[in-house]
Amino acid sequence: MSRFLFPRWSNAVLPLVAVGGAIAPLYIVFLIAYAWSPKTIEVGYKPTQPVPYSHALHVGQLGLDCRYCHTTVDRAAHASVPATQTCMNCHTQVQKDSPKLKPVRESYASGLSVLWTRVHDLPDYSYFDHSAHVNRGVSCVECHGRVDQMEVVQKAAPMSMGWCLECHRNPTDNLRPLDRITQLSWDQRTEMTAEEREALKKLYHISPSENCSTCHR
Amino acid sequence: MDQTTSSTCETRAAEAPSAPVPTGRAHWRSVEELQQTPEFRSFLDREFPEGASEASEEDRRQFIKVMGASFALAGVASSGCLRWPETKIVPAARGQENRVAGHPVSFATCLQVDGVAVPAMATSYEGRPIKLDGNERHPSASGGSSAMTQARILELYDPDRIRSTTQKGAPSSLPEFDGWWSTHANALRAKQGEGLAILSEAIGGDVHARALELVTKAFPKARLYVHAPAGQSAEQAGTAIAFGAAKRVLPDFGKAKVVVSFGSDFLADHPASVRFAGDYAKGRRLDSTDPKQQQITRLYSIESRLSLTGMNADERIAVKPSQVQAIAAMVADRLGAVPGCATAADAKLDEQATKVVDALLKDLKDAGPRALVVAGPTQPAAVHAIACAINQKLGGAGTTVTYIPAPAAAPGIVEFARDAASIDTLVVLGGNPAYDAPASLGVAALIAKIPNVVRLAYRNDESSVACGHGWVIAAAHPLECWGDGASWDGTLSIQQPLILPMMGAEAGGLSAVELLLRVAGHEPRTAYDFTRQVYARKSGLAGADFEVAWRAALSEGWWPGTNAKSQSALAVDAAKVAAAPVSAAGDVELSLFFDSKVHDGRFANLGWMQELPDVVTKITWDNALLMSPSMATSMGLKAASMVRVKTAGGSVVAAVWVLPGHAEGCVSLALGYGRGAPAGRLAEGCGFDGYAVMVPGAFSSACELTKESGTYEFAHTQDHGAINPFDATVSALKPNVPADGVAERLGGLVREATLGEYRDHPDFAKHRVHVVHRLSLWEETNLDGAKFRWAMSVDLGTCTGCSACVTACQAENNIPIVGKAMVKRGREMHWMRIDRYFKGPQGSPTGFAVQPVTCMQCENAPCEQVCPVAATVHDEDGLNSMVYNRCIGTRYCSNNCPYKVRRFNFFNYHKRTPDRQEGILKTQPEYYISEGPDRWLQLQFNPDVTVRIRGVMEKCTFCVQRINRARIEAKNEWARKGGSAGSPDWKVADGAIVTACQQACPSGAIVFGDLNDPNSKVSRLHRQPTSYQMLEELNTKTRLRYVARVTNPAIERPSADGGHGHGTHGHDAHDKEHS
Repeated sequence: MSRFLFPRWSNAVLPLVAVGGAIAPLYIVFLIAYAWSPKTIEVGYKPTQPVPYSHALHVGQLGLDCRYCHTTVDRAAHASVPATQTCMNCHTQVQKDSPKLKPVRESYASGLSVLWTRVHDLPDYSYFDHSAHVNRGVSCVECHGRVDQMEVVQKAAPMSMGWCLECHRNPTDNLRPLDRITQLSWDQRTEMTAEEREALKKLYHISPSENCSTCHR
Repeated sequence: MDQTTSSTCETRAAEAPSAPVPTGRAHWRSVEELQQTPEFRSFLDREFPEGASEASEEDRRQFIKVMGASFALAGVASSGCLRWPETKIVPAARGQENRVAGHPVSFATCLQVDGVAVPAMATSYEGRPIKLDGNERHPSASGGSSAMTQARILELYDPDRIRSTTQKGAPSSLPEFDGWWSTHANALRAKQGEGLAILSEAIGGDVHARALELVTKAFPKARLYVHAPAGQSAEQAGTAIAFGAAKRVLPDFGKAKVVVSFGSDFLADHPASVRFAGDYAKGRRLDSTDPKQQQITRLYSIESRLSLTGMNADERIAVKPSQVQAIAAMVADRLGAVPGCATAADAKLDEQATKVVDALLKDLKDAGPRALVVAGPTQPAAVHAIACAINQKLGGAGTTVTYIPAPAAAPGIVEFARDAASIDTLVVLGGNPAYDAPASLGVAALIAKIPNVVRLAYRNDESSVACGHGWVIAAAHPLECWGDGASWDGTLSIQQPLILPMMGAEAGGLSAVELLLRVAGHEPRTAYDFTRQVYARKSGLAGADFEVAWRAALSEGWWPGTNAKSQSALAVDAAKVAAAPVSAAGDVELSLFFDSKVHDGRFANLGWMQELPDVVTKITWDNALLMSPSMATSMGLKAASMVRVKTAGGSVVAAVWVLPGHAEGCVSLALGYGRGAPAGRLAEGCGFDGYAVMVPGAFSSACELTKESGTYEFAHTQDHGAINPFDATVSALKPNVPADGVAERLGGLVREATLGEYRDHPDFAKHRVHVVHRLSLWEETNLDGAKFRWAMSVDLGTCTGCSACVTACQAENNIPIVGKAMVKRGREMHWMRIDRYFKGPQGSPTGFAVQPVTCMQCENAPCEQVCPVAATVHDEDGLNSMVYNRCIGTRYCSNNCPYKVRRFNFFNYHKRTPDRQEGILKTQPEYYISEGPDRWLQLQFNPDVTVRIRGVMEKCTFCVQRINRARIEAKNEWARKGGSAGSPDWKVADGAIVTACQQACPSGAIVFGDLNDPNSKVSRLHRQPTSYQMLEELNTKTRLRYVARVTNPAIERPSADGGHGHGTHGHDAHDKEHS
């Protein structure tokens, strides 16, 4: 009778299988942790917008202040995306026939909105307030990166809860004077001493809350 | 109370079907509690009643199949997409001045009920109205709002609204209507409008009056009928008897020392009840620095059913409806206000009632001009006339009461029924006469016979169905159209819309004024232009001057100088009052009243109103035939037995509800229920129709009751959240601990004292508990150095139990309704509940108490100790936060909460249809979230609060979204001024944070603030000697404290609260606590 037998070389494979079996769960855990981490899936998210608006051109080269368009950033939770009218303040004079600006002109004529794709989308159960940050010396650049160098806006930080808490637990390095809040190219880590940043923390009574109710309600 | 009276009470109690009150328990929640029924035990002992924790009664196999399918789908979903769906940002094309994205904006406006404007502030978020509150700046308001006002925001988004214009049931449009009308109007004009009639609900305001004038100008022979079931016709008729001309009565409860109510539920059922409750609270609040000098208003209530006002009364006589008039007549007679009053001799008083009446007479004489007598809208005209006569006699006119001329009266529904045959063209403006008129008039059939009908309707209700052979035009919500209204004191308020009609301009969305303008053929016909035109004419201003005045009126919500001139020096025709008609008496009488939630039926399709427990009975989703326990026993009836009620008006079969405190020999039924499909998907099949037994022109009548077979299922909440500080079983298990002794030491949940007791012992509330241990079982949360210590104070002395707070909380915090079947299982989601207690013997309770209960925000919170995932934790300011996104739904926290204030989302209630069928898997059509206009309800959500999903625990957060907003704004302001270089530290001003319940409370009973500020209102209230903590013996250190209730009875009764003296175990450590 011919019973099936493993060939002799399979004895050598057995330890490899054992090792592989031991590593596989770890590998899967690593894979999931890496692939599903906000760092991997969120950072660099760069959707195509209906109008190829370049922050690099408007902010970086022309030197527009963030608050020219994002008017409520220092007053409200939302930074707000500008009305079409804001674009047309200049574009009735400049580049008024550019094909890239067609959706803007159409919107201005029809009164219907330009539908921008949201880049930074927090979960609905988190409530972030822009004004609470920009009025305390936290610059736009700390979360949004060098928008003044971006041709197309992309997400610069994972904006996960762990990432928020990193700063809430240790905010000093991210503080700068209020008059430099929108100067994206200015870096307090090189331009200011640690003592100066510490002094800012005292000036604005910065003691970021780690309470759940601060962001979740 | 002397020996004889107490024996009366005992006899009555013995007649009742149950045992007397357990010793030591002053307050009881329900008859079920007294009887300790298994149902009550189940609510008491368990967090949720038996079976409530199981998901469903569905077939388990089907459930597992559904679950399996969900898991499979979950697998597909997670492998398919990693980022959540792309969302769009939609900025406006053109900027709007002063608009800040995401900031809610408030606009002053008004909403009319029964022709009286209720001033309101409407909050709009990104163009959608999300909340309604009272307008404190309005001269006729005193802050706060009512549950009905709160719920009217839901009316705007009602998925059952009419969304189109139809002719003979076929889709049509406004332009087509205009075409039809212009030819039809020509024919009418030739006849000078002969045969044209307008049947309108009561609508006030100059704009509407002017539009009506234009119609009469165009059609001089047109007739107007006004049908307002809950109107003020009795008051107008009564004042006409007394003074010779119809007046509107403006009582000032704040100035009264003694208030006598003859069947008036002024705290709940009156167009100005919010103002009245605020004024009344002024006289009831403990404010004197010296308790010995404390005075509070005394309220007498003579009524048949148990009303909210009756529950708040210090002395109450419960008698048949006809006896209310007889007692009023007797009082007037004995005061000499109306000598020889016809019915005075008919008053039959038992011993207790005689004492109350004697005390009442003495108090009225002593108070003189500070006395106030009021009569309710469901009382006959004679009672109103008597009230006027007494007030004039005592000199209250000018002090506690003033009068203004009543709006011009028009013929009513009875006259319409008489004339209907001669009407050729009928315009039905709003209202619902086919339902809310006495059924014996047969209004629906009369309308159906009229050849040309134009109906302006909000829903496809009974009247719209009756008008189905004509035009049915979609009406606009008050938040969708311009107009005005006159508040109770006559002040004209501008009705300012916040949104365009939801159905689009071609489909309809007209206001009554706009339809009248079309009927009259007047230009301009838009309500905005017309309103401005009317006010320009009225004010005599033009151009820029008018623009300034107009803008100021819009901003404030009212037009200055428009309130009617008040009168007080009026002569009473006592002979006429004495001869006023007597209301019909019977062996058994029926009294009909307007429901505290659905009013005359118009708010029946608002889920918040249906699910709000009735202020008195605590029944949800239904009304009931109310009767006293002894009457039920003598007829062999129990709660939920079916009974046929027969009157001269008709008959109806209704289910009985046994209500301690209800008068003997009569039954009461709330109007506005018992409707079919036209009522809307939520109102359909709720309760029993009172209009079926209504006798035209009267709210009470003789009736016959016959027992019917079968029982009804009520969903009531009177035993939900039952807390037993002293459990009878404890003493049963430990017989050596005398029950009375334990009861004496453990305090009541509601603590109250009479004014006399309070004067002797201002700190009576502190002595009701024996706090055994101060050591905690676990490590207490360290809250040292907290910048804020948020806290709340609830004044039981001024809280009336009106439930405005419950609805306001629901509106603010996106709380779903769950449906009748779920309420029955104790799954209602209200973060706040109003516990109602009876006091004294079951047959004739000697008192009532209400207590709002919400999360106490314990510093030493039991819920936090048992959460396995730290989803409920303390924040630095002492708030007990609930983190929805962490919650996994173990419900341990809820089990461990001694106050039973946590609510669990057993289902995705925002996605379920809250209909009345059993079974969880039958959830179509989706009520809240589905495609099409049914999505409208979503528009009401407050974007500042997370919408919770199934499987998540939730509870009161002290409106943390409002706290955070105020905090951020305060610190921004401070930082912008240079931070600590400018001023040493930032603070939030006292009063800058107002919670939703506090904002809604008409009595100002709820106060919120920071305990770290010793001068804040809440700190001062917490320091008051009457301040106490619920279940203090558990060492939970709650941030919500109650102010004990002080009542002002006229007759001494032995204190049922186990004494107020300084017993051996009396003191807790309150002196230490507040040092």
